[in-house]
Amino acid sequence: MDNFKRLQNSVTITISIVFVVINLLTISFCWFVFTDKELATPLILGIIILMTVTISMIAAVKLSTYALKPLYFIWQAIIHVSPGNSGVAAPNLEDARLGKELITTLIMQVYQFASQQKDDDKDLDEHRKAVVQAANVVSHLPLPLFVFNSSQIVTNASDSAMEYCQTESSKLFGKPLYESVNLEFSSEHTLEKWLLDCQSNKVTDTAYWERVRLRLPEDKSIRQCDIAAYYNRDNPSGTEFIVTFFDRTAQYNQDDEAMSFVALAVHELRTPLTMLRGYIEVFQDELSDKLDDELKSFMSKMQASASQLTAFVNNILNVSRIESNQMSMELHEEDWVATLKNACEDADMRARAHGIEIEYHIPEKLPTVAVDRISMFEVINNLIENAIKYSPNSKKIVVSTRIDDQGMVETSVQDFGLGIPSNVLPYLFDKFYRNHRTKTEVGGTGLGLFLCKSIVDAHGGQIWAKSKEREGSTFAFTLKPYSKLADEQKNSNNTEVTRTAHGWIKNHSLYRR
Amino acid sequence: MDQTSSSGKKILCIEDEHFISELYVRALSKAGYNVAVAVDGEDGLKQALTDNFDIILLDIMIPTITGIEILKRLRDPNNQNQIRAKIIITTNLEQGIGGREEIEKQADGYVIKAEITPRQLVEFVNQLET
Repeated sequence: MDNFKRLQNSVTITISIVFVVINLLTISFCWFVFTDKELATPLILGIIILMTVTISMIAAVKLSTYALKPLYFIWQAIIHVSPGNSGVAAPNLEDARLGKELITTLIMQVYQFASQQKDDDKDLDEHRKAVVQAANVVSHLPLPLFVFNSSQIVTNASDSAMEYCQTESSKLFGKPLYESVNLEFSSEHTLEKWLLDCQSNKVTDTAYWERVRLRLPEDKSIRQCDIAAYYNRDNPSGTEFIVTFFDRTAQYNQDDEAMSFVALAVHELRTPLTMLRGYIEVFQDELSDKLDDELKSFMSKMQASASQLTAFVNNILNVSRIESNQMSMELHEEDWVATLKNACEDADMRARAHGIEIEYHIPEKLPTVAVDRISMFEVINNLIENAIKYSPNSKKIVVSTRIDDQGMVETSVQDFGLGIPSNVLPYLFDKFYRNHRTKTEVGGTGLGLFLCKSIVDAHGGQIWAKSKEREGSTFAFTLKPYSKLADEQKNSNNTEVTRTAHGWIKNHSLYRR
Repeated sequence: MDQTSSSGKKILCIEDEHFISELYVRALSKAGYNVAVAVDGEDGLKQALTDNFDIILLDIMIPTITGIEILKRLRDPNNQNQIRAKIIITTNLEQGIGGREEIEKQADGYVIKAEITPRQLVEFVNQLET
């Protein structure tokens, strides 16, 4: 207001001076022109000058007010909408005379700008609030969390992330995570690889890693965690990757200890087993001509028992691997006929020691399958071992394989022994499950079928049992032909096939040798 | 047993368990192989480096230098004097995830001793030779 008044005053003074000067010049001119100077006494002259100045000043005030009115309206409008407005009312445009249309347009423009500005301010305020809030959440999140930009550079991290990795913001921010934090992955599918893959092939993606080892910089000790990650290409906020760690150190360390104990126990059990089997074989080679039939059968029973124990030791090891999530299988293209025949060799010897003949119904040619050979040996051995155990009075087991209606390779082991009551059939593949009725008659741990199911599941096949009490049981499983799995692999555009079974995740790499 | 293909072939058995090496020596000798034994890693590596063998049977858990270390040194690509012998890992030890694949890449064979009898080992070695 003061500034406007000051402007108005200076304009008024300027106009007044102009008027006064003009009037004085006019009076002086008259003074010289009119000859009858007597009339012009100093008194009259003084009165004329005084009136001239007064009229000039009133005219100047009026004129300046009139001329500055449009400016006043604009000033009023701007001050009215400005954020620090202290009670200046909006201009009444009805009063506008000079340039009414122009003023109205200009003032409307001012109002429009002002209202836009108000909205922008509101948005900006809310945005600022949201940013502060997000930064606050990230920094105080009680979970290690990292945020990367499109160059895979860490732009933000929670305090607990720095604490967990024993690092500080100066070492972490502005660098790729895998440079400042020492992570070890159990497979070739690493965080770094995923980041690169995302940027070249994905728009959005999520990934999860289990059993990632984090080597701490201070004491070089190891933490174990799972990692979850999210990717969103060209995220407008600049946040392309979000990565969180879930600490599992206690749990995984416990598993590892249990596993290393089992591995050690297995090694210690296998050494005398190797010797036993070796010396029995020497006896067999050297004595078979000299022994009578009874002693010969004792010899083969000894051999069969040692081989059975070897198989059982493998079961313990494998179940423990499944439990601790360390069972990994590599699927290779294999000739199933040869693999199956090979896998049956040991079991065949054990069956013969029990006076049981295995009948094979195996076609000469079948499509190749994608299997982990050693794991498949376990499946066949366990199924035949079961058939032997549950055939106390029968002398035959049938092993057959064929292509089923869905084009899967189906393999079955049929016995003609005790059979299984229908009410327990659904629980057969559970860990440690043993049929209570046969518990007293047949030895075993209840690990074998659990292991078979885990392995078959991991191969993408199915396993099932059919049985009738006192007539016998048939256990069968399917495997995918290699070509089928290889096609799936190609279509999924993924070099790894990951399946879950019993809550464990395995990475399979499938390739031709 | 086929003695003609194997006659004279030299095998080094690096194995600290005397009973096991005894069984392997017996079975392999009967099959016509010429077998030497080393009972620890140091001796095993020394003998292996003479390049006097066609096949090396290498246990992993052995005293002084482990089988893995021996395998690494014998198959070190920077080593100028590569030995010609084929290396078969004979072990009862379970490897962690990926461990076996890693070893198999460097070795010519991998057997779990408890799972094969000496006769089956001879078959395995014969097969490797052909």
